[in-house]
Amino acid sequence: MSTNAYIVRFNLQQRVEHLVTMTIFTLLCLTGLPQKFFQAGWAHGLVDLFGGISNARLIHRICGIGLALSTVVHFGNAIASIMAKKATMSMVPVRRDFEDAILQLRYYLGMTQQHPHYDRYDYKQKFEYWGLIFGNIIMVVSGFILYFPVHAAKIIPGQVIPAAKVMHSNEGLMAFFVITIWHIFNAHLNPDVFPFDATIFTGKISRERMLHEHPLELSRIEGTPPEVEGHAAAAHAHDGRRNVG
Amino acid sequence: MKRYLTALLFALCAMPAKAGIPAKQDSCLDCHNDQSMSFDLAGGEKLSLFVDEGNFAKSVHGEMLRCTDCHADKKDDHADGAVTLGSSSEPVRTKRELTIHYYEQCKGCHFINYTKTLDGVHFAVASKGNDKAAVCVDCHGAHDISRPGQPRNRISQMCSRCHAEEAKVYAASVHGKALESSSDVPVCTDCHRAHDTADPRDGALAIRTPEICGRCHGDEKLMKKYGLSTHVVDTYLSDFHGMSATLQRGTKKGSGERLAAVCTDCHGVHDIRKSDDPGSSVMSANLQKTCQKCHPGATESFPKAWMSHYEPTLEKAPMVWAVQLFYRVLIPFMIGGLVLQIALHLWRVVVNR
Repeated sequence: MSTNAYIVRFNLQQRVEHLVTMTIFTLLCLTGLPQKFFQAGWAHGLVDLFGGISNARLIHRICGIGLALSTVVHFGNAIASIMAKKATMSMVPVRRDFEDAILQLRYYLGMTQQHPHYDRYDYKQKFEYWGLIFGNIIMVVSGFILYFPVHAAKIIPGQVIPAAKVMHSNEGLMAFFVITIWHIFNAHLNPDVFPFDATIFTGKISRERMLHEHPLELSRIEGTPPEVEGHAAAAHAHDGRRNVG
Repeated sequence: MKRYLTALLFALCAMPAKAGIPAKQDSCLDCHNDQSMSFDLAGGEKLSLFVDEGNFAKSVHGEMLRCTDCHADKKDDHADGAVTLGSSSEPVRTKRELTIHYYEQCKGCHFINYTKTLDGVHFAVASKGNDKAAVCVDCHGAHDISRPGQPRNRISQMCSRCHAEEAKVYAASVHGKALESSSDVPVCTDCHRAHDTADPRDGALAIRTPEICGRCHGDEKLMKKYGLSTHVVDTYLSDFHGMSATLQRGTKKGSGERLAAVCTDCHGVHDIRKSDDPGSSVMSANLQKTCQKCHPGATESFPKAWMSHYEPTLEKAPMVWAVQLFYRVLIPFMIGGLVLQIALHLWRVVVNR
């Protein structure tokens, strides 16, 4: 098989969804973090850049509505696709993911030479996906409480509003950290993909990387028995660094 | 200043025999000691020309200034002349015209405070043609100038001569009432400033109130004296209003625009009362109405969204406290875990090489 062989990993809709989420998330951070750190000098500079706090807040709220809509659209699509059997529940965490996580940590610690063989999504990707989903739900719900406090107080106790503020502000900060530390590492600084994993933008992934990172999915696509590919992947794992192109 | 001190020195040295204040060096008081002495101004008003020598001697300038230091245009022989505005020959029509004319006299010595007045609301109003706007002597007096703020409540009395309505409301407030027995409470100029008095209408003063009120209400020693909490400012700042107000600092209120609620929006401005006073706008029974000023339709449970300047403790706000604690544990755990995994990953890559 040619070394230039690639596999289409993400369809257009998935790529657009990532692009939209990325843009909205960036704008939300840029307009939200200065509100959390309002006493810092940079916060004032950033707010002024957006034309004052009223404008920054307007942008934040529009993006928040965008995030809520994109989450709903994503889930609507996912459910429809799964019902129509166009997609599988490949993102749903299963028992194997926990075993993979333990095996992966054992591998990192040098306790085993056996690298776990992943299917379409590894446990790290599932963790980040569901973190984003639950984070979105928390941010959207608490965000709307803060957006419409008067209406919120009509149906929930008043104390929920300051609690929602603490939740929104902390969850937002945590999301910011997870993205800047974890996601940036996995998509850019990870030696396997350094300097830039373009798969989510182009949709394409090389067969080599598939063999290394998602051997079980590759074997299913190619219709070959996983055991054979599994060994190949294990062999790759040892000198995986040199395979990065 | 130096000029006058030199003059004073000269006066003291040259005429040791003639006792009394420097003003006596001129012959002005020889005529102006007559109580019945007056001048009919062009506008029809009678201008008294009497100067009480005793009063002037007791004033801050008594030991220092001669009459002509301020009345520089007056000569020995003006007895039958007209009262004119400086070099122009236009006669002065009213007493007010004359007072405003002398506005410029103080700056010779008090340049800094004079310059400050140019940024003040009184000057701004005066330059639009309002001759009632206060000039130096309206607050400080003319021949009877004493040290400002002695006693402190005199400051508010001075302002009340024009701002009677506000002064009446202030006098009934917690600050106004305490002024009779305490010198700690704010008088008008503590919030509004003295010379560069801010215009309260454009929102710039309002947005500074957390800082203004915080000067006293954040002072541990001072608040202890009255059994008040110093956490009022930081609890306000950590709330949505405080955050918004901080980020709005420096912005001017455009028409129809609403700035974040500051201290005075809930507590009142001149009419601030104790929080347990039944008439207080922040008394729990009145809070819903106060919230409704900005949040129309606020229901009974809405004021509970505000934690009444309390820290979120288990007793005061258990829900807020629990959420805070949850994230205090979760964030370090989550970030620490992810960083550890990245570190292990990289370590393994290095080992594998």
